[in-house]
Amino acid sequence: MADDTPLVEMRRIEKFYGRVHALRDVNLTIHKGEIVGLLGDNGAGKSTLIKVLSGAVPYSSGEIFIKGRKAVLRSTNDAIDSGIETIYQDSALVPQLSIARNLFLGRELCAGPRLLGRLDQTRMNDVARDLLKRVGISKNIPPTTPIGSLSGGERQAVAIARAMYFDSDLIILDEPTNNLGVAETQGVLRFVREVRDLGHSCIFIAHNIHHVFQVVDRMVVMRRGTVVADDLSPKTSTIQDIEDVITGEHITI
Amino acid sequence: MTDDTTAPEAHPPEPGLVRLMIAQPEFAPLVLLVVMLVVFTSINPAFLSITNIGNALTFTVELGLIALAMTLLMTAGEFDLSVGSLFGFSPVVMWALFNAGLLSLPVAFIVALLIALLIGFVSGMFVTRLGIPSFLVTLGMLLVVRGSALWLTSGFPQRTWDAGQQWLAEVLVGDFYVGSLRVYMSLIWFILLAFAFHYILTRTRFGNWIQATGGNPAAARNRGVPTQRVKVVLFMLSAAMAAFAGIISSIRVSAANPNSGSGYELEVIAMVVIGGTVLTGGRGSIIGTVLGVLILRLMRNGIVLIGVPGLAYNIFIGAIILGMMALHAALERRHNAGT
Repeated sequence: MADDTPLVEMRRIEKFYGRVHALRDVNLTIHKGEIVGLLGDNGAGKSTLIKVLSGAVPYSSGEIFIKGRKAVLRSTNDAIDSGIETIYQDSALVPQLSIARNLFLGRELCAGPRLLGRLDQTRMNDVARDLLKRVGISKNIPPTTPIGSLSGGERQAVAIARAMYFDSDLIILDEPTNNLGVAETQGVLRFVREVRDLGHSCIFIAHNIHHVFQVVDRMVVMRRGTVVADDLSPKTSTIQDIEDVITGEHITI
Repeated sequence: MTDDTTAPEAHPPEPGLVRLMIAQPEFAPLVLLVVMLVVFTSINPAFLSITNIGNALTFTVELGLIALAMTLLMTAGEFDLSVGSLFGFSPVVMWALFNAGLLSLPVAFIVALLIALLIGFVSGMFVTRLGIPSFLVTLGMLLVVRGSALWLTSGFPQRTWDAGQQWLAEVLVGDFYVGSLRVYMSLIWFILLAFAFHYILTRTRFGNWIQATGGNPAAARNRGVPTQRVKVVLFMLSAAMAAFAGIISSIRVSAANPNSGSGYELEVIAMVVIGGTVLTGGRGSIIGTVLGVLILRLMRNGIVLIGVPGLAYNIFIGAIILGMMALHAALERRHNAGT
């Protein structure tokens, strides 16, 4: 890394839903090119934290810095423009539309008069075909295939490939391996590592600690709205250690 | 990353042409239309006569115009029950303004369309901003608009016989002959708009947004697609098309009746779903809708020609809708089986 400025730094983030204190004094730092596993039991505050970071919900107080600059994330578009892409499990892709059209959804390539908005189908298909080949998935699937006829793993790969194509610095994966078979899960995990090797950072959220263990550089654990551990390494901790931190059975740090 | 040099260029398995055709949502309505043509013609050859076809096409397009706009709206996941009322209301407004000597016919025409756009806008805002289902919003709007038409006219039709001298009337419903086939301008409008809407839905960014809005609204929103604006625009479009169709009809039959268009909303929705557009959104086809329009019209026309009592018409339409929905559902299940 050329400089030590973190990619994303969340400082003292607080979030109230009415009287519910969903996030308490959360500090989280993500560096360039690292995969961070975000763990915690149901209701620990993982998804609230992710929604804050992806611009989906406003935070009550605190500050977010992106590449050292203070950022204002008021909408998902703000987050995307700042290089943060969130891939939700069920709301990433439109099943009826083709791979190419999903890839460019909301950022369509057009030709001809601007007002008419005629899609440049050829160029979108070319880019999609090239991207599918480059990321090593779905080599024999044409870019005109509807998302609805892809497997769960292929869909994840298309969504991640889209984030890569639009040069997202941070890709947040919400339960990417949920409902996937063993081979598909391995495929997605391999793909996440490749994405990291290309210099993108990832936040990886999964209930299955085994999956998290296989892919992350570092683990952050949340409990009752706050971060209770943020530097657990899969090299030095066991799954049992992590589970204990998640449940608060005993404190290892 | 895979190495390009070692990976041979794989080709997708080519599905058979027949299977590809069957998978199209337009396939079932096309088959039905052909079967109807064959059956009706074999029972009564007059069915395929030039006069009959000319007549059938003329009356077809007025509902068909609304069905085109409804297709886009339903693809975005909403529908509009107020189109039948607008079909009656808008010509009443236009002719009332004109007959009272307040406005010239073209200006009254534009005012009527603007009012329709406003009504569509209000429906769209209720649905998108307040989150009320379009069934309830447009049911309410149906009553408001129909009530307004009746109240404005005290229930009496507006006279329209001054239309003959107006160029606008010629542009909207004038006729000309192609050989011995009498063609009305409204048919030309229908064909032009069918091409335009098909183009919009399948080839433009807005069409992509329409499909995404109906297919997975959360995904579309996450990508920055203005799904609410898309829906409002489509509500406005369907209202304007209903007004346009109603005005055409009023000039053709020389009467602007505040009661006309009752029940048209359901017939229009039937045309659209028979054509393969899904009520829940995400998938729609203008080609299918054109087929659906023809199927319903030729059915109405055909059963009379072959001697079935006209009153039995709804039985056939109902049976077709049920049959088509069963077929689409079966195809959909097969389509999703692989995922």
